[in-house]
Amino acid sequence: MTIASHTPVPIVLVVEDEPLLRLFAAQVVEDAGYEPVEAANAAEAIAILESRPDIRIVFTDIDMPGGLDGIKLAAFIRDRWPPIKIIITSGKPLPPRTVMPAETVFFSKPYRQDRVIALLHKMAA
Amino acid sequence: MSEIQAARRADALKELAVLDTPEEQAFDDIVFIASRTCDTPIALISLLDYDRQWFKARVGLEVCQTEIAQSVCQIDVDDAEMLVIPDLTRDPRTAANPLVTGERAFRFYAGAPLVLRSGVVVGRLCVIDTKTRPEGLTPEQMTLLRALGRQVSDQLDLRRAAQVSARLLELQTALIEIGERIRASEEAVEMTSAAAAVVGRVLGVQRASFGLVDPDVEIVDVEADWTAPGVASIAGRHRFDDYGTLRADLVAGEPLVIEDVATDHRTSAHTDAMRALDIGALVNMPVRDHGRTVAIFIVNASRPRFWTPDEVLFLRSVAARLEAGVARLRAERQQSVLNDEINHRLKNMLSMVQAIASQTLRTVSQREPVESFERRLIALSAAHDVLLQKSWKDADLRTVAEAVIETVGFGERMTLDGPSVPLGARAALSFSLVVHELMTNACKYGAFCLDIGHVELTWTIEASGLIVRWRERGGPLVVAPSRKGFGSKLIRLGLTGTGGTELRYEPDGFEADLRASVEHLAQA
Repeated sequence: MTIASHTPVPIVLVVEDEPLLRLFAAQVVEDAGYEPVEAANAAEAIAILESRPDIRIVFTDIDMPGGLDGIKLAAFIRDRWPPIKIIITSGKPLPPRTVMPAETVFFSKPYRQDRVIALLHKMAA
Repeated sequence: MSEIQAARRADALKELAVLDTPEEQAFDDIVFIASRTCDTPIALISLLDYDRQWFKARVGLEVCQTEIAQSVCQIDVDDAEMLVIPDLTRDPRTAANPLVTGERAFRFYAGAPLVLRSGVVVGRLCVIDTKTRPEGLTPEQMTLLRALGRQVSDQLDLRRAAQVSARLLELQTALIEIGERIRASEEAVEMTSAAAAVVGRVLGVQRASFGLVDPDVEIVDVEADWTAPGVASIAGRHRFDDYGTLRADLVAGEPLVIEDVATDHRTSAHTDAMRALDIGALVNMPVRDHGRTVAIFIVNASRPRFWTPDEVLFLRSVAARLEAGVARLRAERQQSVLNDEINHRLKNMLSMVQAIASQTLRTVSQREPVESFERRLIALSAAHDVLLQKSWKDADLRTVAEAVIETVGFGERMTLDGPSVPLGARAALSFSLVVHELMTNACKYGAFCLDIGHVELTWTIEASGLIVRWRERGGPLVVAPSRKGFGSKLIRLGLTGTGGTELRYEPDGFEADLRASVEHLAQA
């Protein structure tokens, strides 16, 4: 995919506590042609979102240490930064009756890279 | 008539459960025969309660009971001998009896004792005439009246035995029902509510409740509560000490059985508290866990009530079943938590393998093997998800197939049809890989290459076992590959990793038949 020089490259915030998986997710974002920004937990993610208004997509894990898990982080983002698109991923199946915030897509881990890339393209379009 | 004998008699009659019951042919027949045999207008079966005599059967008398003081039958009854009074007006024991002096004008009396197998005398079979009989009964009439008296005693004992065994059957049936309801329950409160409802109904009590207790059994929190219509619930927290000295037995795991809260020494000082809850009699049955009382099964009757040993035993069995049921739920819950954790770690591990492989193989210019690796990994992971939902027991064949199809795509171009077939953990994993490879091949060379192509995946159970049929239609012309790659080797391993696979490259499209015995699938 080619990006015209005058268009800014979409920024994707990757939130994942496991370093190896964070590296991998960042690589997937790069392969999609976008720029990854990394956070190891929800608190870091919120701090980054507050300082960087150019983030368009958040790609987050659910199970993370600390108070806020990925679902709560997504709800918080949906409330505070409504235009941001969200991808949620987890090694656990979604608990029954989980209410996903609007414009949020779930992927079970391990996920197919090509599907995540296709979704990133759709969300950034 | 001694007090102790009278008390034994009253207890025996209560045990017989015969007082105030409807007429019964067997007893009616006996009084009829007695009156004919002795040629008297009146014959009675008189049962001697504390304050009255009650007639189980009667001929020639319209009342069913009299005060005990008017009873001729009670005279010398504890001797268990025949009593014959030729002229009631001239016997000092009966001369002033209103039945003799009044308009009934009883004159002659003869009565045979009713002696139960336990030895207790409960009354008499008597014949009465309104004319005196200085000669009394003939020896033959005496013998027959005695024999009929023994018949009545036997009938009373048999009647009781039949009632006891009918009751036992009723309690056993209820226990079976409770066992089934407990087995079918997924929640503890569902188990206890079901048990309470059945117990309340079968014991005919006003309330049956289940409550958790603290380690010292000071407080009970009643959660499940069954009540008869119009009876208030006791759901909520109660302190045992507010109702009497009840804790010692419960802490020790012994049932607390109280027939009358007003007279029992453990509750007699707290009858107001009992009356406030409309409790006249109760059983509290401890439910134990690891040698401690953890809960109480409570049964309340609004009036004093005799609890038979069978009923107490029944409640003990109900408590034991609840214990086992709750223990089963806890074990299942722990197992489920453990399964979730194992699966989560396993899937995290698969994600790590994917991440490492992806990074390691980044520089490999040929992308196809790298992608197939990732997809096989994901197909395996999807099968794990299905197995986890079934706690690693049997996964359904269709569910496994659908999970794998979801990871590949093209679901809208596939038709699935077949009965429910349970797959063991190993079979589910190998089947998921086979379906994945078949789909991958269909994408590369078969039905999914062309827009109109589709696949039918059907399975049937036949005498030889399970047959899974993969039929591709509407694709390009297929030819057998010259080289066998890893994918086709996976397919040839079949449903259980032991073969049984037949592949055909037909002009209509590729076909595969996979065979395995159903037992093998579920075990594998």
